[in-house]
Amino acid sequence: MNGMSAAIALGKRELLRQIRQPSRIVASIVTPLLVWVFFVGGFSTAVGGAGQTNTDQNLTAYMIPGVASLTVMFASIFASISLINDRHEGVLRAALISPAPRWSIVIGKVGAGALVAMLQGFVVLAALPFLGVDMSVLGVIGACVGLGLISVALIGLGLGLAWIVDSSQGFHGIMNAVLMPMWLTSGAVFPINDAAGWLKIVAMANPLSWAHSAIRSSLGMPGIEGTPAGLDWLISAAFAGGCIVLATAVMGQASKRR
Amino acid sequence: MKTIQFDQLRVVYSNKDGDRIALNGVSLVIGRESIALLGPNGSGKSTLMGVLAGTLTADDGVVHRNYENGLGVVFQTPALDELLTVRENLALAGALHGMTKDAAGSAIVSVADALELTDRLDQQVRHLSGGLKRRTDLARALLPGPGLLLLDEPTSGLDVEARASLWSALDTIRNESEMAVVYATHMTEEAAKADRVVLFADGKIVIDGAPSELIEGLGSSVLRIRLSDEMHAASVVQWSKEIGCPSVSRGKEVLISHAKPEHAGKCPGDPESVTLAAPTLEDVYLWHARSNFSEGLL
Repeated sequence: MNGMSAAIALGKRELLRQIRQPSRIVASIVTPLLVWVFFVGGFSTAVGGAGQTNTDQNLTAYMIPGVASLTVMFASIFASISLINDRHEGVLRAALISPAPRWSIVIGKVGAGALVAMLQGFVVLAALPFLGVDMSVLGVIGACVGLGLISVALIGLGLGLAWIVDSSQGFHGIMNAVLMPMWLTSGAVFPINDAAGWLKIVAMANPLSWAHSAIRSSLGMPGIEGTPAGLDWLISAAFAGGCIVLATAVMGQASKRR
Repeated sequence: MKTIQFDQLRVVYSNKDGDRIALNGVSLVIGRESIALLGPNGSGKSTLMGVLAGTLTADDGVVHRNYENGLGVVFQTPALDELLTVRENLALAGALHGMTKDAAGSAIVSVADALELTDRLDQQVRHLSGGLKRRTDLARALLPGPGLLLLDEPTSGLDVEARASLWSALDTIRNESEMAVVYATHMTEEAAKADRVVLFADGKIVIDGAPSELIEGLGSSVLRIRLSDEMHAASVVQWSKEIGCPSVSRGKEVLISHAKPEHAGKCPGDPESVTLAAPTLEDVYLWHARSNFSEGLL
Protein backbone atom coordinates (compact mmCIF):
# COMPACT_ATOMS: atom_id res chain seq x y z
CA MET A 1 0.00 0.00 0.00
CA ASN A 2 1.48 3.30 -1.09
CA GLY A 3 0.54 5.66 1.70
CA MET A 4 1.98 8.69 -0.07
CA SER A 5 -0.39 8.22 -3.05
CA ALA A 6 -3.31 8.17 -0.63
CA ALA A 7 -1.95 11.24 1.17
CA ILE A 8 -1.54 13.13 -2.11
CA ALA A 9 -5.06 12.15 -3.22
CA LEU A 10 -6.52 13.31 0.10
CA GLY A 11 -4.49 16.55 -0.07
CA LYS A 12 -5.74 17.18 -3.61
CA ARG A 13 -9.28 16.65 -2.39
CA GLU A 14 -8.80 19.25 0.36
CA LEU A 15 -7.46 21.79 -2.16
CA LEU A 16 -10.32 21.11 -4.59
CA ARG A 17 -12.79 21.69 -1.76
CA GLN A 18 -11.06 24.98 -0.98
CA ILE A 19 -11.21 26.11 -4.60
CA ARG A 20 -14.84 25.07 -5.11
CA GLN A 21 -16.18 27.00 -2.15
CA PRO A 22 -16.15 30.69 -3.15
CA SER A 23 -16.92 31.79 0.40
CA ARG A 24 -13.78 30.06 1.67
CA ILE A 25 -11.67 31.69 -1.05
CA VAL A 26 -13.09 35.10 -0.22
CA ALA A 27 -12.62 34.52 3.53
CA SER A 28 -9.06 33.26 3.07
CA ILE A 29 -8.10 36.43 1.17
CA VAL A 30 -10.23 39.02 2.94
CA THR A 31 -9.38 37.96 6.51
CA PRO A 32 -5.62 38.52 6.23
CA LEU A 33 -6.20 41.66 4.16
CA LEU A 34 -8.45 43.11 6.85
CA VAL A 35 -5.93 42.19 9.52
CA TRP A 36 -3.25 43.77 7.36
CA VAL A 37 -5.15 47.03 6.81
CA PHE A 38 -6.28 47.50 10.40
CA PHE A 39 -2.99 46.58 12.01
CA VAL A 40 -0.88 48.60 9.63
CA GLY A 41 -3.30 51.54 9.60
CA GLY A 42 -4.10 51.44 13.29
CA PHE A 43 -0.71 50.79 14.77
CA SER A 44 1.29 52.97 12.39
CA THR A 45 -0.83 55.93 13.53
CA ALA A 46 -0.50 54.91 17.16
CA VAL A 47 3.28 54.49 17.16
CA GLY A 48 4.19 57.31 14.87
CA GLY A 49 4.05 56.36 11.22
CA ALA A 50 4.86 53.55 8.91
CA GLY A 51 7.94 55.21 7.56
CA GLN A 52 10.22 54.24 10.43
CA THR A 53 13.09 52.11 9.30
CA ASN A 54 14.34 50.94 12.69
CA THR A 55 12.53 47.62 13.08
CA ASP A 56 13.47 47.41 16.76
CA GLN A 57 11.28 50.39 17.43
CA ASN A 58 8.64 49.91 14.74
CA LEU A 59 5.89 48.10 16.63
CA THR A 60 3.75 47.70 13.55
CA ALA A 61 6.50 45.91 11.68
CA TYR A 62 7.29 43.92 14.80
CA MET A 63 3.74 42.65 15.02
CA ILE A 64 3.32 41.62 11.39
CA PRO A 65 4.90 38.15 11.81
CA GLY A 66 2.67 37.64 14.85
CA VAL A 67 -0.39 38.72 12.89
CA ALA A 68 0.65 36.37 10.08
CA SER A 69 0.87 33.52 12.56
CA LEU A 70 -2.56 34.47 13.97
CA THR A 71 -3.96 34.22 10.44
CA VAL A 72 -2.24 30.86 10.06
CA MET A 73 -3.67 29.76 13.40
CA PHE A 74 -7.26 30.50 12.34
CA ALA A 75 -6.74 28.80 8.98
CA SER A 76 -5.30 25.77 10.78
CA ILE A 77 -8.27 25.53 13.15
CA PHE A 78 -10.55 25.70 10.12
CA ALA A 79 -8.58 22.94 8.38
CA SER A 80 -8.66 20.58 11.34
CA ILE A 81 -12.28 21.11 12.37
CA SER A 82 -13.46 19.61 9.07
CA LEU A 83 -12.34 16.25 10.46
CA ILE A 84 -15.32 16.18 12.86
CA ASN A 85 -17.95 16.39 10.12
CA ASP A 86 -15.85 14.32 7.75
CA ARG A 87 -15.65 11.45 10.21
CA HIS A 88 -19.37 11.24 10.76
CA GLU A 89 -20.76 12.06 7.34
CA GLY A 90 -18.10 12.53 4.77
CA VAL A 91 -15.53 10.78 2.72
CA LEU A 92 -13.29 10.17 5.72
CA ARG A 93 -15.36 7.15 6.76
CA ALA A 94 -14.38 5.54 3.47
CA ALA A 95 -10.75 6.49 4.10
CA LEU A 96 -10.82 4.97 7.56
CA ILE A 97 -11.99 1.57 6.36
CA SER A 98 -9.57 1.55 3.40
CA PRO A 99 -6.12 -0.05 3.64
CA ALA A 100 -4.54 3.44 3.50
CA PRO A 101 -2.43 3.98 6.63
CA ARG A 102 -3.72 6.52 9.12
CA TRP A 103 -0.62 8.64 8.70
CA SER A 104 -1.55 9.19 5.05
CA ILE A 105 -4.87 10.73 6.18
CA VAL A 106 -2.97 12.99 8.57
CA ILE A 107 -0.38 13.97 5.96
CA GLY A 108 -3.05 14.66 3.32
CA LYS A 109 -5.09 16.89 5.64
CA VAL A 110 -2.06 18.63 7.13
CA GLY A 111 -0.27 19.13 3.80
CA ALA A 112 -3.20 20.79 2.06
CA GLY A 113 -4.29 22.74 5.13
CA ALA A 114 -0.77 24.02 5.78
CA LEU A 115 -0.36 25.12 2.15
CA VAL A 116 -3.55 27.19 2.29
CA ALA A 117 -2.68 28.61 5.73
CA MET A 118 0.85 29.47 4.60
CA LEU A 119 -0.48 31.38 1.58
CA GLN A 120 -2.78 33.38 3.83
CA GLY A 121 0.12 34.13 6.17
CA PHE A 122 2.19 35.24 3.20
CA VAL A 123 -0.46 37.84 2.28
CA VAL A 124 0.03 39.39 5.74
CA LEU A 125 3.83 39.28 5.47
CA ALA A 126 3.54 41.25 2.25
CA ALA A 127 2.85 44.30 4.46
CA LEU A 128 6.44 44.42 5.70
CA PRO A 129 8.04 46.25 2.72
CA PHE A 130 5.45 49.00 3.25
CA LEU A 131 6.67 49.32 6.83
CA GLY A 132 10.27 49.80 5.91
CA VAL A 133 11.46 46.24 6.32
CA ASP A 134 13.63 45.02 3.46
CA MET A 135 12.82 41.41 2.65
CA SER A 136 15.11 39.17 0.62
CA VAL A 137 13.67 36.29 -1.41
CA LEU A 138 15.39 33.84 0.91
CA GLY A 139 14.03 35.68 3.91
CA VAL A 140 10.47 35.45 2.57
CA ILE A 141 10.92 31.74 1.82
CA GLY A 142 12.29 31.20 5.34
CA ALA A 143 9.38 33.09 6.90
CA CYS A 144 6.87 31.09 4.86
CA VAL A 145 8.54 27.85 5.95
CA GLY A 146 8.25 29.06 9.55
CA LEU A 147 4.55 29.79 9.06
CA GLY A 148 4.19 26.40 7.41
CA LEU A 149 5.74 24.72 10.47
CA ILE A 150 3.32 26.56 12.74
CA SER A 151 0.43 25.45 10.56
CA VAL A 152 1.61 21.83 10.40
CA ALA A 153 1.90 21.76 14.18
CA LEU A 154 -1.48 23.37 14.81
CA ILE A 155 -3.35 21.25 12.26
CA GLY A 156 -1.71 18.12 13.70
CA LEU A 157 -2.75 19.21 17.19
CA GLY A 158 -6.24 20.06 15.90
CA LEU A 159 -6.67 16.72 14.14
CA GLY A 160 -5.72 14.85 17.30
CA LEU A 161 -8.22 16.91 19.29
CA ALA A 162 -10.94 16.65 16.62
CA TRP A 163 -10.60 12.88 16.77
CA ILE A 164 -11.32 12.89 20.50
CA VAL A 165 -13.90 15.68 20.72
CA ASP A 166 -17.25 14.87 19.15
CA SER A 167 -18.69 18.36 18.60
CA SER A 168 -17.37 21.36 16.71
CA GLN A 169 -18.43 23.64 19.59
CA GLY A 170 -16.33 21.65 22.04
CA PHE A 171 -13.44 21.62 19.61
CA HIS A 172 -13.55 25.43 19.20
CA GLY A 173 -13.72 25.95 22.94
CA ILE A 174 -10.70 23.77 23.67
CA MET A 175 -8.64 25.04 20.72
CA ASN A 176 -9.23 28.67 21.69
CA ALA A 177 -8.44 27.94 25.34
CA VAL A 178 -5.14 26.33 24.34
CA LEU A 179 -4.04 28.30 21.29
CA MET A 180 -4.86 31.90 22.25
CA PRO A 181 -2.66 31.84 25.39
CA MET A 182 0.03 30.11 23.31
CA TRP A 183 -0.12 32.86 20.71
CA LEU A 184 -0.25 35.70 23.25
CA THR A 185 2.81 34.42 25.12
CA SER A 186 4.81 33.60 21.99
CA GLY A 187 6.26 37.04 21.41
CA ALA A 188 3.64 37.80 18.77
CA VAL A 189 2.61 41.06 20.44
CA PHE A 190 5.59 41.89 22.67
CA PRO A 191 9.32 41.22 22.45
CA ILE A 192 10.28 38.22 24.58
CA ASN A 193 13.79 39.50 25.10
CA ASP A 194 12.44 42.47 27.09
CA ALA A 195 9.68 40.56 28.90
CA ALA A 196 9.41 40.22 32.69
CA GLY A 197 11.14 37.19 34.25
CA TRP A 198 8.14 34.90 34.71
CA LEU A 199 6.68 35.82 31.34
CA LYS A 200 9.99 35.12 29.67
CA ILE A 201 10.06 31.65 31.23
CA VAL A 202 6.52 30.96 29.99
CA ALA A 203 7.43 32.25 26.53
CA MET A 204 10.61 30.17 26.33
CA ALA A 205 8.58 27.06 27.19
CA ASN A 206 6.12 27.85 24.41
CA PRO A 207 7.03 26.19 21.10
CA LEU A 208 5.27 28.93 19.14
CA SER A 209 7.80 31.47 20.52
CA TRP A 210 10.57 29.60 18.77
CA ALA A 211 8.66 29.51 15.52
CA HIS A 212 8.16 33.28 15.76
CA SER A 213 11.84 33.66 16.49
CA ALA A 214 12.70 31.63 13.37
CA ILE A 215 10.36 33.73 11.23
CA ARG A 216 11.73 37.00 12.59
CA SER A 217 15.32 35.86 12.09
CA SER A 218 14.54 35.02 8.46
CA LEU A 219 13.17 38.53 7.98
CA GLY A 220 16.21 40.17 9.56
CA MET A 221 14.39 40.98 12.80
CA PRO A 222 15.67 40.03 16.23
CA GLY A 223 14.62 36.56 17.39
CA ILE A 224 15.09 35.05 20.86
CA GLU A 225 18.50 36.28 21.95
CA GLY A 226 21.22 34.36 23.75
CA THR A 227 20.43 30.96 22.27
CA PRO A 228 22.45 28.88 19.78
CA ALA A 229 21.86 29.66 16.10
CA GLY A 230 19.29 27.34 14.53
CA LEU A 231 17.79 26.27 17.84
CA ASP A 232 14.55 28.08 16.97
CA TRP A 233 14.27 26.13 13.71
CA LEU A 234 15.09 22.86 15.45
CA ILE A 235 12.43 23.35 18.14
CA SER A 236 9.84 24.50 15.56
CA ALA A 237 10.47 21.47 13.35
CA ALA A 238 10.39 19.12 16.34
CA PHE A 239 7.09 20.66 17.50
CA ALA A 240 5.56 20.22 14.04
CA GLY A 241 6.85 16.65 13.76
CA GLY A 242 5.68 15.84 17.28
CA CYS A 243 2.17 17.09 16.53
CA ILE A 244 2.01 14.95 13.36
CA VAL A 245 3.09 11.88 15.33
CA LEU A 246 0.54 12.71 18.03
CA ALA A 247 -2.29 13.09 15.47
CA THR A 248 -1.34 9.80 13.80
CA ALA A 249 -1.22 8.00 17.15
CA VAL A 250 -4.58 9.39 18.26
CA MET A 251 -6.26 8.65 14.92
CA GLY A 252 -4.76 5.17 14.99
CA GLN A 253 -7.00 4.28 17.90
CA ALA A 254 -10.13 2.46 16.74
CA SER A 255 -13.24 4.28 17.83
CA LYS A 256 -16.05 2.82 19.90
CA ARG A 257 -18.43 5.61 19.10
CA ARG A 258 -21.36 5.27 16.78
CA MET B 1 -15.06 -21.05 0.96
CA LYS B 2 -15.03 -19.01 4.13
CA THR B 3 -14.85 -15.24 3.60
CA ILE B 4 -15.18 -14.04 7.15
CA GLN B 5 -15.86 -15.68 10.48
CA PHE B 6 -16.50 -14.12 13.82
CA ASP B 7 -16.82 -15.78 17.19
CA GLN B 8 -18.49 -14.55 20.36
CA LEU B 9 -18.44 -10.86 19.45
CA ARG B 10 -19.47 -8.64 22.31
CA VAL B 11 -19.84 -4.85 22.23
CA VAL B 12 -21.02 -2.77 25.18
CA TYR B 13 -21.75 0.96 24.91
CA SER B 14 -21.22 2.84 28.13
CA ASN B 15 -22.61 6.25 28.91
CA LYS B 16 -23.83 8.21 31.90
CA ASP B 17 -27.13 6.29 31.87
CA GLY B 18 -25.31 2.97 32.23
CA ASP B 19 -24.17 0.17 29.94
CA ARG B 20 -26.06 -1.11 26.90
CA ILE B 21 -25.12 -4.44 25.35
CA ALA B 22 -25.20 -3.94 21.58
CA LEU B 23 -23.74 -7.35 20.63
CA ASN B 24 -23.98 -10.23 23.04
CA GLY B 25 -21.83 -13.18 21.95
CA VAL B 26 -22.56 -13.14 18.21
CA SER B 27 -20.90 -15.86 16.08
CA LEU B 28 -21.29 -16.40 12.32
CA VAL B 29 -19.43 -17.92 9.36
CA ILE B 30 -19.92 -16.17 6.02
CA GLY B 31 -18.97 -17.76 2.71
CA ARG B 32 -19.17 -16.36 -0.81
CA GLU B 33 -22.85 -15.64 -0.47
CA SER B 34 -25.24 -12.82 0.28
CA ILE B 35 -26.45 -12.42 3.84
CA ALA B 36 -29.17 -10.11 5.09
CA LEU B 37 -28.93 -8.98 8.70
CA LEU B 38 -32.56 -8.38 9.60
CA GLY B 39 -33.86 -6.76 12.74
CA PRO B 40 -35.43 -3.64 14.19
CA ASN B 41 -33.51 -0.48 15.07
CA GLY B 42 -31.22 -1.07 18.03
CA SER B 43 -31.01 -4.84 17.57
CA GLY B 44 -27.25 -4.80 16.86
CA LYS B 45 -27.08 -4.91 13.05
CA SER B 46 -25.24 -1.63 12.57
CA THR B 47 -22.87 -2.38 15.44
CA LEU B 48 -21.96 -5.69 13.81
CA MET B 49 -21.45 -3.88 10.49
CA GLY B 50 -19.17 -1.42 12.28
CA VAL B 51 -17.08 -4.23 13.77
CA LEU B 52 -16.86 -6.02 10.40
CA ALA B 53 -15.87 -2.75 8.69
CA GLY B 54 -13.24 -2.08 11.35
CA THR B 55 -14.72 1.24 12.46
CA LEU B 56 -15.77 -0.18 15.83
CA THR B 57 -13.77 -2.29 18.24
CA ALA B 58 -15.41 -5.27 19.90
CA ASP B 59 -14.93 -5.62 23.65
CA ASP B 60 -14.60 -9.35 23.22
CA GLY B 61 -14.54 -11.98 20.47
CA VAL B 62 -12.50 -12.72 17.37
CA VAL B 63 -12.90 -11.85 13.67
CA HIS B 64 -11.12 -14.04 11.08
CA ARG B 65 -10.91 -12.46 7.63
CA ASN B 66 -10.18 -14.40 4.47
CA TYR B 67 -10.83 -12.23 1.45
CA GLU B 68 -8.80 -10.39 -1.18
CA ASN B 69 -8.74 -6.74 -2.27
CA GLY B 70 -10.08 -5.56 1.05
CA LEU B 71 -13.67 -4.79 1.74
CA GLY B 72 -16.12 -2.29 0.31
CA VAL B 73 -18.57 -0.56 2.61
CA VAL B 74 -21.74 1.33 1.74
CA PHE B 75 -22.80 3.30 4.81
CA GLN B 76 -26.31 4.45 5.72
CA THR B 77 -25.49 7.84 4.19
CA PRO B 78 -23.15 8.18 1.19
CA ALA B 79 -19.46 8.57 2.05
CA LEU B 80 -18.86 10.91 -0.85
CA ASP B 81 -17.48 14.41 -1.13
CA GLU B 82 -20.35 16.48 -2.49
CA LEU B 83 -18.00 19.11 -3.94
CA LEU B 84 -16.06 16.57 -5.99
CA THR B 85 -17.26 15.03 -9.23
CA VAL B 86 -18.23 11.38 -9.44
CA ARG B 87 -14.94 10.64 -11.22
CA GLU B 88 -12.89 12.51 -8.58
CA ASN B 89 -14.64 10.65 -5.77
CA LEU B 90 -13.96 7.31 -7.44
CA ALA B 91 -10.35 8.25 -8.18
CA LEU B 92 -9.91 9.11 -4.49
CA ALA B 93 -11.35 5.72 -3.52
CA GLY B 94 -8.88 4.06 -5.92
CA ALA B 95 -5.93 5.93 -4.40
CA LEU B 96 -7.04 4.99 -0.88
CA HIS B 97 -7.07 1.33 -1.92
CA GLY B 98 -3.58 1.56 -3.39
CA MET B 99 -4.69 1.34 -7.03
CA THR B 100 -2.43 2.90 -9.65
CA LYS B 101 -3.84 5.79 -11.68
CA ASP B 102 -4.24 3.59 -14.76
CA ALA B 103 -5.86 0.73 -12.84
CA ALA B 104 -8.24 3.14 -11.11
CA GLY B 105 -9.03 4.82 -14.44
CA SER B 106 -10.09 1.59 -16.13
CA ALA B 107 -11.95 0.41 -13.01
CA ILE B 108 -13.87 3.71 -12.96
CA VAL B 109 -14.94 3.22 -16.58
CA SER B 110 -15.98 -0.36 -15.90
CA VAL B 111 -17.90 0.25 -12.66
CA ALA B 112 -19.56 3.39 -14.04
CA ASP B 113 -20.72 1.37 -17.02
CA ALA B 114 -22.11 -1.41 -14.81
CA LEU B 115 -23.98 1.08 -12.61
CA GLU B 116 -25.10 3.33 -15.49
CA LEU B 117 -23.10 6.30 -14.23
CA THR B 118 -21.00 6.95 -17.33
CA ASP B 119 -22.92 10.13 -18.23
CA ARG B 120 -22.56 11.47 -14.71
CA LEU B 121 -18.83 10.96 -14.21
CA ASP B 122 -17.95 14.64 -14.53
CA GLN B 123 -20.88 15.95 -12.52
CA GLN B 124 -20.40 17.16 -8.95
CA VAL B 125 -22.05 14.80 -6.47
CA ARG B 126 -24.09 17.63 -4.90
CA HIS B 127 -26.02 17.94 -8.18
CA LEU B 128 -27.07 14.25 -8.22
CA SER B 129 -30.40 12.83 -7.01
CA GLY B 130 -30.49 10.67 -3.88
CA GLY B 131 -30.66 7.49 -5.95
CA LEU B 132 -27.69 8.47 -8.11
CA LYS B 133 -25.68 9.37 -5.02
CA ARG B 134 -26.34 5.88 -3.66
CA ARG B 135 -25.26 4.29 -6.94
CA THR B 136 -22.13 6.45 -6.91
CA ASP B 137 -21.48 5.34 -3.34
CA LEU B 138 -21.92 1.72 -4.40
CA ALA B 139 -19.48 2.35 -7.28
CA ARG B 140 -17.00 3.75 -4.75
CA ALA B 141 -17.30 0.62 -2.61
CA LEU B 142 -17.02 -1.71 -5.62
CA LEU B 143 -14.11 0.06 -7.32
CA PRO B 144 -11.24 -2.02 -5.91
CA GLY B 145 -13.16 -5.27 -6.59
CA PRO B 146 -13.54 -6.14 -2.89
CA GLY B 147 -13.85 -9.71 -1.65
CA LEU B 148 -16.49 -8.60 0.84
CA LEU B 149 -19.13 -5.91 0.37
CA LEU B 150 -20.93 -4.53 3.42
CA LEU B 151 -24.07 -2.45 3.00
CA ASP B 152 -25.63 -0.79 6.03
CA GLU B 153 -29.30 -0.12 5.21
CA PRO B 154 -28.29 1.01 1.72
CA THR B 155 -31.80 1.98 0.61
CA SER B 156 -32.84 4.06 3.62
CA GLY B 157 -34.32 7.34 2.45
CA LEU B 158 -34.69 6.24 -1.17
CA ASP B 159 -37.97 6.22 -3.10
CA VAL B 160 -39.33 2.99 -4.61
CA GLU B 161 -37.79 3.56 -8.03
CA ALA B 162 -34.34 4.45 -6.69
CA ARG B 163 -34.49 1.41 -4.39
CA ALA B 164 -35.36 -0.92 -7.25
CA SER B 165 -32.61 0.59 -9.38
CA LEU B 166 -30.01 0.08 -6.62
CA TRP B 167 -30.99 -3.56 -6.07
CA SER B 168 -30.98 -4.22 -9.79
CA ALA B 169 -27.47 -2.78 -10.05
CA LEU B 170 -26.34 -4.82 -7.07
CA ASP B 171 -27.79 -8.03 -8.55
CA THR B 172 -25.94 -7.40 -11.81
CA ILE B 173 -22.65 -6.88 -9.99
CA ARG B 174 -23.17 -9.96 -7.79
CA ASN B 175 -23.89 -12.18 -10.77
CA GLU B 176 -20.61 -11.12 -12.36
CA SER B 177 -18.37 -11.55 -9.31
CA GLU B 178 -17.70 -13.94 -6.46
CA MET B 179 -17.71 -11.46 -3.66
CA ALA B 180 -19.60 -12.02 -0.44
CA VAL B 181 -22.29 -9.46 0.32
CA VAL B 182 -23.56 -8.67 3.81
CA TYR B 183 -26.29 -6.09 4.19
CA ALA B 184 -28.29 -4.80 7.13
CA THR B 185 -31.94 -4.02 6.62
CA HIS B 186 -35.20 -3.85 8.51
CA MET B 187 -37.25 -4.52 5.37
CA THR B 188 -38.26 -8.15 4.90
CA GLU B 189 -38.69 -7.81 1.10
CA GLU B 190 -35.04 -6.72 0.87
CA ALA B 191 -33.90 -9.50 3.18
CA ALA B 192 -35.73 -12.05 1.01
CA LYS B 193 -33.29 -11.34 -1.86
CA ALA B 194 -30.37 -12.80 0.16
CA ASP B 195 -29.03 -16.35 0.14
CA ARG B 196 -29.26 -16.31 3.94
CA VAL B 197 -31.19 -14.25 6.44
CA VAL B 198 -29.84 -13.68 9.94
CA LEU B 199 -32.43 -12.28 12.33
CA PHE B 200 -31.18 -10.12 15.21
CA ALA B 201 -32.86 -9.31 18.50
CA ASP B 202 -31.35 -7.56 21.52
CA GLY B 203 -27.79 -8.02 20.26
CA LYS B 204 -28.15 -11.75 19.58
CA ILE B 205 -28.76 -13.91 16.53
CA VAL B 206 -32.25 -15.37 16.87
CA ILE B 207 -32.40 -17.38 13.67
CA ASP B 208 -30.19 -17.99 10.64
CA GLY B 209 -31.12 -19.71 7.38
CA ALA B 210 -32.13 -19.44 3.74
CA PRO B 211 -35.34 -17.43 3.29
CA SER B 212 -37.16 -20.46 1.86
CA GLU B 213 -36.08 -22.65 4.81
CA LEU B 214 -37.20 -20.06 7.32
CA ILE B 215 -40.55 -19.69 5.59
CA GLU B 216 -41.02 -23.48 5.42
CA GLY B 217 -40.44 -23.55 9.17
CA LEU B 218 -43.92 -22.02 9.62
CA GLY B 219 -45.63 -24.78 7.61
CA SER B 220 -47.72 -24.37 4.49
CA SER B 221 -50.16 -21.81 5.97
CA VAL B 222 -50.32 -19.32 8.82
CA LEU B 223 -53.39 -17.89 10.51
CA ARG B 224 -53.26 -14.19 11.34
CA ILE B 225 -55.91 -13.40 13.90
CA ARG B 226 -56.84 -9.92 15.06
CA LEU B 227 -58.99 -9.91 18.20
CA SER B 228 -61.49 -7.32 19.37
CA ASP B 229 -59.98 -7.42 22.85
CA GLU B 230 -56.49 -8.33 24.11
CA MET B 231 -58.02 -10.42 26.92
CA HIS B 232 -59.11 -13.09 24.40
CA ALA B 233 -55.52 -13.75 23.30
CA ALA B 234 -54.90 -16.36 26.01
CA SER B 235 -57.93 -18.42 24.93
CA VAL B 236 -56.80 -18.34 21.27
CA VAL B 237 -53.29 -19.45 22.27
CA GLN B 238 -54.84 -22.24 24.33
CA TRP B 239 -56.99 -23.27 21.33
CA SER B 240 -53.89 -23.35 19.06
CA LYS B 241 -52.30 -25.81 21.50
CA GLU B 242 -55.42 -27.98 21.37
CA ILE B 243 -55.31 -28.16 17.55
CA GLY B 244 -51.56 -28.88 17.70
CA CYS B 245 -50.34 -25.64 16.07
CA PRO B 246 -47.66 -23.38 17.61
CA SER B 247 -48.63 -19.74 18.14
CA VAL B 248 -47.27 -16.39 19.28
CA SER B 249 -49.26 -13.40 20.43
CA ARG B 250 -48.70 -9.73 21.14
CA GLY B 251 -51.50 -7.41 22.10
CA LYS B 252 -54.61 -8.11 20.05
CA GLU B 253 -52.76 -10.15 17.43
CA VAL B 254 -52.11 -13.89 17.37
CA LEU B 255 -50.10 -15.71 14.72
CA ILE B 256 -50.63 -19.49 14.34
CA SER B 257 -48.25 -21.55 12.19
CA HIS B 258 -48.84 -24.90 10.45
CA ALA B 259 -52.53 -23.99 10.20
CA LYS B 260 -55.03 -25.87 8.04
CA PRO B 261 -57.89 -24.29 6.05
CA GLU B 262 -60.53 -25.78 8.38
CA HIS B 263 -59.02 -23.94 11.38
CA ALA B 264 -59.88 -20.54 9.90
CA GLY B 265 -63.59 -20.72 10.76
CA LYS B 266 -63.21 -22.21 14.22
CA CYS B 267 -61.15 -19.56 15.96
CA PRO B 268 -62.50 -18.64 19.42
CA GLY B 269 -62.21 -15.26 21.13
CA ASP B 270 -64.43 -12.99 19.03
CA PRO B 271 -61.88 -12.28 16.28
CA GLU B 272 -62.18 -9.08 14.23
CA SER B 273 -60.39 -10.71 11.32
CA VAL B 274 -58.90 -14.09 10.49
CA THR B 275 -56.56 -14.51 7.51
CA LEU B 276 -55.17 -17.80 6.26
CA ALA B 277 -52.25 -17.44 3.87
CA ALA B 278 -48.98 -19.00 2.77
CA PRO B 279 -46.25 -17.78 5.13
CA THR B 280 -43.87 -15.02 4.06
CA LEU B 281 -40.57 -13.78 5.43
CA GLU B 282 -42.54 -11.05 7.16
CA ASP B 283 -44.39 -13.77 9.09
CA VAL B 284 -41.04 -15.31 10.02
CA TYR B 285 -39.86 -11.92 11.21
CA LEU B 286 -43.03 -11.27 13.23
CA TRP B 287 -42.97 -14.80 14.65
CA HIS B 288 -39.46 -14.46 16.01
CA ALA B 289 -39.93 -10.81 16.86
CA ARG B 290 -42.87 -11.64 19.10
CA SER B 291 -41.00 -14.56 20.62
CA ASN B 292 -37.69 -12.84 21.26
CA PHE B 293 -37.74 -9.06 21.07
CA SER B 294 -38.11 -6.91 24.11
CA GLU B 295 -41.25 -4.72 24.09
CA GLY B 296 -39.28 -1.55 23.49
CA LEU B 297 -38.06 -2.74 20.11
CA LEU B 298 -41.49 -3.32 18.62
